[in-house]
Amino acid sequence: MGCRSGVIAGAGMRKKTITNNIRMLRFLNGEMTQTELGKRVGVTRQTIAAIEAGKYSPSLEAAFGIAEVLGKRLDEVFAWEEDGEWKG
Amino acid sequence: MFNIMLNTKNIELGMSYREQSSWLYLFAMSVTFGPYLVWMSVSPPGGAIGQPGADLSPLWVYAIACAAQVMILGAGHVWLRKQNPDEARAPLDERDRAIQLRSMGVAYKVLLVGMILVGCVMPFTSGGWEIVNAAIFMIVIAQVVRDGLSIWSYRRGWDA
Repeated sequence: MGCRSGVIAGAGMRKKTITNNIRMLRFLNGEMTQTELGKRVGVTRQTIAAIEAGKYSPSLEAAFGIAEVLGKRLDEVFAWEEDGEWKG
Repeated sequence: MFNIMLNTKNIELGMSYREQSSWLYLFAMSVTFGPYLVWMSVSPPGGAIGQPGADLSPLWVYAIACAAQVMILGAGHVWLRKQNPDEARAPLDERDRAIQLRSMGVAYKVLLVGMILVGCVMPFTSGGWEIVNAAIFMIVIAQVVRDGLSIWSYRRGWDA
């Protein structure tokens, strides 16, 4: 289960969305709060909430930061998929 | 795993300080310049500006609206800062900056079109207070667009 974000489609392209697994990974990291994750990445807790909910696509810098804090590779946290569903 | 997803304990909700600020700006503009513009449209001032006998009362109404807006914004920001002292001190993050950039960009275009109409078209058809109040109206519209788009972006998301 993941959250959809960043719907991208163009002529001749199938619709793709950015999904993420942050909520589950926070839980697996000792129930890390959005505030704590945000502080360690350098964004507000509302930005983390928006990323989780698929309402904001983070910059590459923030995405790498989130993955680093959660102890995962970038592709284990974020995915770009056609159906918008997390398969990780 | 499903239970993990349903656990809302570690999900925090609520508006950010920046979003609250946008609401405050929108509120302050609505309750000060909204009534001003309604008043000016219902009872437009008479006489040409700069001529003897010109009605200068709109200047006082404008001054009162400005003063009220400054007071509302000042008191509102003091209150918001007390509610969220850490967030108020923190610099804008990347999402805040992106939202600001987008809303300012759209508002600038609205203001540009408005000022072209007021400054380049209206002098041929209107004069005096009509032009002054049309300019104020365009500034208010641009500000409302900026704050409204910011709130929309915070609420509905960047990609929505």
